[in-house]
Amino acid sequence: MAVVRGCNIPEDLSYNVENNVWARREADGTVTVGLTAYACSLAGEIVAYTPKKISKEVAKDKSCATVESGKWVGPVKIPVTGEVTQTNEAVSAKPGLINKDPYGEGWIVRIKPNDWNGDSVSLKTGQDALQAFEAKMQSEGFKGCH
Amino acid sequence: MNRCAGRRLDLGVLSPETYVATDRALLECREQGLAPDTLLFLEFARPGALVGFHQSISQEIQVAYCRGHGIPVQRRVTGGGALYVDDGVFGWELYLDRAALGRADLGDVAKLLCTLAAEGLRELGVPACYRPRNDIEVDGRKICGTGGVYDGDALLYHGSLLLDFDVERMLDVLRIPAQKWRDKAIVAARERVTSLRSLLGTRPTAKAVSDALARAFSRGLHTDFAPGVLSQAEQAWRERTRLEIASDDWIYQHDRPETETPVLEGLYRCAGGLLRTALSVDARTGRIRQIWFTGDFFVHPKRLVADLEAALRDVAVADVRLAIERFFGQYPVEMLLLSREDFCRAVEDTLAPIIGGTRVAVPGVGA
Repeated sequence: MAVVRGCNIPEDLSYNVENNVWARREADGTVTVGLTAYACSLAGEIVAYTPKKISKEVAKDKSCATVESGKWVGPVKIPVTGEVTQTNEAVSAKPGLINKDPYGEGWIVRIKPNDWNGDSVSLKTGQDALQAFEAKMQSEGFKGCH
Repeated sequence: MNRCAGRRLDLGVLSPETYVATDRALLECREQGLAPDTLLFLEFARPGALVGFHQSISQEIQVAYCRGHGIPVQRRVTGGGALYVDDGVFGWELYLDRAALGRADLGDVAKLLCTLAAEGLRELGVPACYRPRNDIEVDGRKICGTGGVYDGDALLYHGSLLLDFDVERMLDVLRIPAQKWRDKAIVAARERVTSLRSLLGTRPTAKAVSDALARAFSRGLHTDFAPGVLSQAEQAWRERTRLEIASDDWIYQHDRPETETPVLEGLYRCAGGLLRTALSVDARTGRIRQIWFTGDFFVHPKRLVADLEAALRDVAVADVRLAIERFFGQYPVEMLLLSREDFCRAVEDTLAPIIGGTRVAVPGVGA
């Protein structure tokens, strides 16, 4: 797994770097969405998670869930348009899982994408994603994931 | 450094519903570039209860009391805990571009804005300072709570400053762990919370407070907040938002039963005195929501109690001993015949009904 300023950034995922979210197309055609390790570090420990309801359609770059950390509420902006098919019960019970395992057990929602091929064109992956995160961290004065 | 142009809004008295609709509308307008950086002040004329965005009303508010007394309940767009508001609460809010603050870490942003608000209060003659993670205090007593919300590059951060403090009514409206010990809860609340009237002997005017805060924010954020008004676009946005904000779907979303957040109380006797612990636990997440220590014991400085309570908020029940030990490891304290172990045991005894009493009993120690 690649690391940028101490933050794990898996090279095989697709990222909307600006919104600090990742997407992974699963074998069954659904897409899993989550927050990056960088987003988790900026937020601090996440203590609340409210996903959109199952079967709700969420447009690209709109909120598919809200999270709260240190009295800050913020949206998780979905990187591709789709219908929510699954929310994460384990994260509902322990929102801190998002920080602990942002690319694994701490996923945010699973969706059925409307147009993965079209929407994912603008997402970054591999080396491009790493460079884009380094630039974002530089511009935001980020010292590094702890 | 170049100064930025911002806007100051003095909105006067708002109902809880208008307050929340304004927050939502201005944040969305700021996110879409339809509103400038804004410093906003507001007041409440009548009692109300406001829960944080993710909170459950049943778990935070004495719903039957509020219904019986016509006290409106609303849900904020910001995070943090439940608030009782009335004409003693003065609200300040900042709508800013997150990137322009030069710090992406949300904890750092909260620290900056709370520190500036405290500077403003010091101009009024009270030695206010920032208390991690989100409070402003005077000599260990909270005078202003804060919370925030962000959307893209826009953020809203708000503070609820106490000009005056109606402790009895607050205890009636909010669900607080020490509620059953009414007389002790009143004393305990006064030891933890203060107001400008209490500190200054007289209640300052809203104008004096807002001007002092505006000067501090203007200096610290390098922004000139010129007096302004809500634009037509913002007013229209607020009116559209109001319908949703007034609905039960908004107010009672995330509602969970009161039984999920049991209140536990414990009495612990030791050589150092009597420690009374009242706490509420989120049974779903296994975390302490609030904890209060009262009783008959000596610690110096006295504010240690409030600081320990703040340090234990949101701590996992399983980690509470570790958190207490870590707190005392970093905190210079004098105690008379009392030890950190006594605090650990007082809390563990109180938690015993939900953790199965795993602690090994020590003869002659504990309640």
